[in-house]
Amino acid sequence: MIQIKELEKYYKTEEVQTIALNKLSFEVKEGEFVAIMGPSGCGKSTLLNILGLLDDPDGGSFKFNGEEVAGYNERKRAQLRKHNVGFVFQSFNLIDELTVFENVELPLIYTGVKPAERKKRVEEVLEKMQIMHRRNHFPQQLSGGQQQRVAVARAVVNNPKLILADEPTGNLDSVNGNEVMDLLIDLNEAGTTIIMVTHSEHDAKYSHRIIRMLDGQKVTENILV
Amino acid sequence: MIKNYLKIAWRNIMKHKVFSFINVIGLTIGLSASFIIGLMVYYDYTFDNFHKDGDRIYRVVTDFKYPKGEFYNSGVTLALKGAIEEDDNFDVISEFYVERPLKVENRAANLNFKLPKFVMYADKDFFKIFDYKFIAGDSKSTLENPNEVILTEERAAKYFPNTATSEILGKTLIYNDSINAKVTGIVQNFNGRTDIVFQEFISHPTLLQTRLRGNIIGKNWNNTNSNSQLFVKLNENADKSVINSNLKQIADEHKTKEDIKYGEERVFKLQPLNDIHFNDNYGLYNWSGGRASKSLLNNLILVAIFLLVLGCINFINLNTAQAAQRAKEIGIRKTLGSSRKQLIGQFLGETFILVLISATLSLLLSKWLINVFSDFVPAGLSFELFKIPTIVGGVVLLLVIVTFLSGFYPAMVLSKFNTISVLKNHLAVGDKKVRLRKFLTVFQFTIAQVFIIATLLVGKQINFLLNKDMGFKKDAIVSVYKPLEERSLEKIELYAQKLLSIPDIKEVSLGGPPPASQSSNTTDMRRMVDKQEVYGEIQLLAGDTKFLNLFEIELLAGRVQRNDTVRELVINEAARKYFKFTSPEDAIGKTLLYEKENLQIVGVMNDFHQRSLRSKIKPMTLRGDWYRPRWSYFQAAHISLKSDSSENLKSSLAKIDVVYKEVYPGTDMRLEFLDETIAKFYKREQKVSKLLNWATGLSILISFLGLFGLVIYTTNRRVKEIGVRKVLGASILQINTILCKEFVILVGIAFVIAAPIAWYGIHDWLQNFAFKTNISFWTFLVSGFAMIIFALIVISIKTIQAASVNPINSLRSE
Repeated sequence: MIQIKELEKYYKTEEVQTIALNKLSFEVKEGEFVAIMGPSGCGKSTLLNILGLLDDPDGGSFKFNGEEVAGYNERKRAQLRKHNVGFVFQSFNLIDELTVFENVELPLIYTGVKPAERKKRVEEVLEKMQIMHRRNHFPQQLSGGQQQRVAVARAVVNNPKLILADEPTGNLDSVNGNEVMDLLIDLNEAGTTIIMVTHSEHDAKYSHRIIRMLDGQKVTENILV
Repeated sequence: MIKNYLKIAWRNIMKHKVFSFINVIGLTIGLSASFIIGLMVYYDYTFDNFHKDGDRIYRVVTDFKYPKGEFYNSGVTLALKGAIEEDDNFDVISEFYVERPLKVENRAANLNFKLPKFVMYADKDFFKIFDYKFIAGDSKSTLENPNEVILTEERAAKYFPNTATSEILGKTLIYNDSINAKVTGIVQNFNGRTDIVFQEFISHPTLLQTRLRGNIIGKNWNNTNSNSQLFVKLNENADKSVINSNLKQIADEHKTKEDIKYGEERVFKLQPLNDIHFNDNYGLYNWSGGRASKSLLNNLILVAIFLLVLGCINFINLNTAQAAQRAKEIGIRKTLGSSRKQLIGQFLGETFILVLISATLSLLLSKWLINVFSDFVPAGLSFELFKIPTIVGGVVLLLVIVTFLSGFYPAMVLSKFNTISVLKNHLAVGDKKVRLRKFLTVFQFTIAQVFIIATLLVGKQINFLLNKDMGFKKDAIVSVYKPLEERSLEKIELYAQKLLSIPDIKEVSLGGPPPASQSSNTTDMRRMVDKQEVYGEIQLLAGDTKFLNLFEIELLAGRVQRNDTVRELVINEAARKYFKFTSPEDAIGKTLLYEKENLQIVGVMNDFHQRSLRSKIKPMTLRGDWYRPRWSYFQAAHISLKSDSSENLKSSLAKIDVVYKEVYPGTDMRLEFLDETIAKFYKREQKVSKLLNWATGLSILISFLGLFGLVIYTTNRRVKEIGVRKVLGASILQINTILCKEFVILVGIAFVIAAPIAWYGIHDWLQNFAFKTNISFWTFLVSGFAMIIFALIVISIKTIQAASVNPINSLRSE
């Protein structure tokens, strides 16, 4: 599903150029659950941003479903992103001014789904995430675990092929953290490809494969299954 | 999607109540001003726009060009019509004479009407120029013969109450006891706004039966009366340059020897119909209707634009300042697939909602504001105009413009945020945005300061105008005029006699208008000095022997005239200098040539201001009532009261009125207070001042609200810094100083920019006055200091509060 080859990304300030990704190459197959680990600053998040079509690489090749997407402009990336990728963030990133229902509904609005269909799908996913009873609450009125469940619901409501999770349990206690990991496993078992960036060895063990990075390069790759 | 936008917009508005309030207030003020001023512009520019072929209708007017200046007359010589009749550039030529009869009678019904307004003697072609709808009678066969009259529906109903229109035709009206006129037509009053306000059209040949007979038959080229009006409708293919050159040729052909000798020129000009409503030079038929002033309208438009821009600036400043708070939402939306266009649409939508709320408030306010600004708003303007499709369209367009003006830049800024940075909370506030906010704040305060300085200086000038010594006594003087239709001199003399028996009255003098008045009477006089002729205009002031004494005008040499009818002159200093007398004493006993008569100068009086201080003091002479008994200039009794305290005044006026009623039973007393007459000279300035007061107050309000909003934002943003500083030992005052500094500097910069602009503007405005106050330095200082102190107070409200918070709270919350 994802093939990256010699991927490069630099960050330039006036005085220095930092290499975030240094000729990085790997593949992710459809239905896989891959964890990416490494110390802060090793390029994990940069990689996730590129994989999530939020950012563009400076060099190398990035094929998404066999299609070369490196060099796509913002508009094309947005098109591809909204139909194929779901995001789960460490800090949940829910819109404070929208209710639970409205937050989950948002991706469907941007993909042009009709209101009746939207309602049905949002309710389905909220049921699945066991958060239906909170549908009219605002994010501030929820616990961290509940907020992350809403975020996961929002990530999956569009049935994306790929979910990118950036430290999804980073802001949660262990009980809520485990619940979120169980949700991800369920989704993966249902066929969704998942790439997760994490610092937690515990969470990484849920995945099929761990890629460890240092200074923008792949160091090791452990297959767990 | 739109529903989602609306929802989030509304929730954002409610979440940031203070900012929303500031935005709504600013935009509401700007929009209200725009609505009202927009209505005024629409109202005034749609006068007489409904006439068929209105763009081909012109009034012919006369400009007189003298070496010393120009004089404008809305009329033409009666001879002109005959001279242009053959010109085929004109489709229709129509002349009429405006004359207000003293009395109209419907004898059959025993009804009597005094001094009806808007009466003209119209020729048969008048109704070919103006397309009146005839309810009765026929436009083609009427007004050809003498003793015919056409009435408007309104006037017909007044003269013939409870009579069917068809029955009014053929009935007779009697004008001034002697002229019979048969009603031959009734026309509908114009529906649209018009300056063609006439109600009564007597046939032109009837003029031969009036006192004007001589003028009508004589058709003197050298006599121009503003009542003698000439309208033309141009041919569709008419060439205006040919018409103008023909008119010039006609004027040149009829130049007198004196015109040539003194370099005087007469110009006949075509005045477009839609210019009548605005042109100051020629006036309106309805004097009380109020002429529109293009310069006033332009100034008002400028005020509306400024207020609107100030409101928009608040919006831009507060929204870009708040951008960081919305960054997360933008990042998420972008991640979920929103395009930049969609985001811009969303933010513009939010802006539009705020604009719509403001517009709704403005519409409600407008109803009230129309009353507050009744001095500026034409009497006929009403809230109902908002129902006209053009106005509705204009309002919608304005709302869209304001939405773009205030919303576009913040929308661009917000939608441009880098998704990754905002989601990682790595949002940097660009230098550019901060600089723009500072620039806009300086701009706002510059406008506010210009308004403040202008208000202070205009107020100072008005004060100067009203309090400057005019050179005569103006307090406790009342002028009582005899009734308009009253010709007899004996009665007013009797009235003056009787007044003297009232103990409150110090002195009474009979004369024409008081020394300063709106009306003036001017003639030419000349004198030979060293074989060279000195020739010039001199104003004539009619008064009896007590006139100078009553008005406390100083006599520099000689004496006043011996009696009321002797042909002697008492000239002023300006006239003495103009006619080259070396000293007041030198003038005594010399003569000035008036027409063919040498008039002796018997006195020289001190100069005084005859008009507003806009104009210079002109040569003038006091003279008696020379044309008795044929005609008397003594229209008024000027009464000097012993005291002008309001209580005494009331009882004195009551006594004066009682005597008036004894002499002129059944007539209302017409009186003027001299100090009020003088204050009326400055009506325009008072209007400017009122407008400036409002503009200043509102611009200060908007600017300070905006400043307050920015201060709230900045202190909230720096709450951690404040906490750290306090922990390290900073006092509230020190922290307050740090927070205030950046804003006070902005206000200071605004002052530096505003001062020269205000100076230039006021200097320019003061050029309208021959006598003016000085532009004092202190007004600038007061304005600058007041602004900075006021800014400090506004800023400190928030900063002191922020600085007083226990640092533990602010640090913990971070």
